[in-house]
Amino acid sequence: MKLKHVWIVFKKEVRDIIRDKRTIITSIFVPMILIPVMNMLVGGNVERLNRDITENITIALSESSNTEEIKNIVKNEIIKDYPNISLIEVDNPTQAISESKVRVVLDFEVDYSAKLNEGKPFVIKLIYDKSQTKSEGSLGFIWEAIDNFNRKTVEKRLNSYGISKDVLTPVVIEESNIASEEESAGSLLALIFPLLIVLLMSSGGIAPATDLVAGEKERNTLEPLLTTKPGRSSLLVGKYLTVTLFSFITVITTMVGVILGYIVNPSSFSMGSSTSITGVSIPPLALFLVIIIAMALGMTFSALQIALSTYAKSFKEAQTYLSFLMIGVMIPGYATMFMQPKEIPVYMFFVPVLNALSALKTVFGYSINYTYLFITLGSSVVYVIISLWLTSSLFKKEKYLFRS
Amino acid sequence: MIDIQGLSKHFDKVVAVDGISFKVNKGEIFGLLGENGAGKTTTLRMLATMLTPTSGTAKMAGFDIINEPEKVRSSIGILFGGESGLYDRLTAEENISYFGELNDMDRTRIKERIKELARIFNMEDYLKRRAGKLSKGMRQKVAFARAIIHDPDIMLFDEPTSGLDVSAIRDVHEFIKSCKAEGKTVIFSSHSMDEVDKLCDRVGVIHKGKLVADGTLDGIKSEYGDQDLENIFIRLVGGKSEA
Repeated sequence: MKLKHVWIVFKKEVRDIIRDKRTIITSIFVPMILIPVMNMLVGGNVERLNRDITENITIALSESSNTEEIKNIVKNEIIKDYPNISLIEVDNPTQAISESKVRVVLDFEVDYSAKLNEGKPFVIKLIYDKSQTKSEGSLGFIWEAIDNFNRKTVEKRLNSYGISKDVLTPVVIEESNIASEEESAGSLLALIFPLLIVLLMSSGGIAPATDLVAGEKERNTLEPLLTTKPGRSSLLVGKYLTVTLFSFITVITTMVGVILGYIVNPSSFSMGSSTSITGVSIPPLALFLVIIIAMALGMTFSALQIALSTYAKSFKEAQTYLSFLMIGVMIPGYATMFMQPKEIPVYMFFVPVLNALSALKTVFGYSINYTYLFITLGSSVVYVIISLWLTSSLFKKEKYLFRS
Repeated sequence: MIDIQGLSKHFDKVVAVDGISFKVNKGEIFGLLGENGAGKTTTLRMLATMLTPTSGTAKMAGFDIINEPEKVRSSIGILFGGESGLYDRLTAEENISYFGELNDMDRTRIKERIKELARIFNMEDYLKRRAGKLSKGMRQKVAFARAIIHDPDIMLFDEPTSGLDVSAIRDVHEFIKSCKAEGKTVIFSSHSMDEVDKLCDRVGVIHKGKLVADGTLDGIKSEYGDQDLENIFIRLVGGKSEA
């Protein structure tokens, strides 16, 4: 293998791919623009939905309950302390729910007044539409308001008997979160980033890998190339480096996109939820190790993608094989998505894909163990070597290189 | 210039080429005549070091195809039939230059050579255009230039006129003649008797992987007492198509 030849092949392949609009769109523009835009739209929608559910709750009374007395109870006692809930008048209360004019309709028991005065429980039926997110989402606030009314009524009754309301609260609960700000923020990062990085690392090279071997076979450009002076190792390494470069580019552009999305609209990152990711500071050594581990994963996948592209008889067959390879990443990725960084068993740091996922989880989850990170680095390097050996053997086999 | 000694190639149990031997002298055009599947492409692929022989070897410009594959590849140019095999997203010039660089030519020499070839093949107007935008005839000329950018001593043509129209076939024939005029040694595989009759100094007939005849066109014609190469070919291959 001659580095000069590797460089010539690499330069040509990069130039060739840069001129391929499909690859540039999927590797650079889609991750850099589409992902943050979608995050922002979805995040913005969720945020808007949450605001709507919380801030503009409209309720009505059923036809049988629509009396001045009940209106008075609802306005002055039940929702008095809830400025976000308003009682409105509608002609057909149940239909008003379907038409999204009203979220919940309150239906008081007929003899509620007598029961209230006698100190007996009476029923308020809450009529809502489960198929409407806003209707169902508002239910909790009505529950809370009625619960508050219950508590006040009980307090009044206890007071009339000269009993303190404290008898109803034997235990007061206090919470104390021992997680640091970094750990709290990290738990969200550990959920999203490992899967995102691993998926991107393993998918970024698919388009170039398919094009550079199976595509060349199909377009009859591989045979003339094989008759030039460089040996197959030089050709393979030149192509391999190109695929690896585009895997890295995909990850970098996506991360840039996600960060841009976060800068423009911080809620886009947490999809509109209130969880914050501020206060994260990963130690430089851990960050360095995890970047190398992610790169090693990308290198392993680039080699496997070229191997499958070499094995495939056609461009389409290569695409099919490579999509199966993606499934092999998605299964462990989603299976471990909710695994807590501190609960990851040691064996996972040795298993391909799982090792990178685990290392990323521990670092982003701010639960860094350098021994585990070095184990992951070691196992990752071994997998790079194995995958390269496999690809090199396949690329030199005539029956695969010339099959069509 | 080309010395083939007992060259064989087996693909599992299939014997594609079965111990063929022949020589091609410097400046000769040798026609390898055979039906589809006779073993012509496999032979040329072995000579171009793309395939490793199961047994036997060959010397190309004095270099052994098994022990000195890199030197062999530096000494040969190859042109395949059918699709020209150009990179559509590269310009014509970039396609040619890429093969020059891979064959260790320096940039100045590549530029000079491209200029020279552009003049010979009338490619000046479209050198800077992407190969994907060129007509079939233009692409073919770029493929010619790419094959000889490094000025190889030996040219291998694997059914180069397959699927081409009349004028394109004529261009290929002219190109082969120009290679001979430049003193290059040529092996030219074909299943067209007319083509071989028109272009070749010597001919070898390959059938089921075996070389069943080898000699000058006149020699073969007088040996079989027939001036029609097609009749001789039919007698040699038994008159049954392998395709």
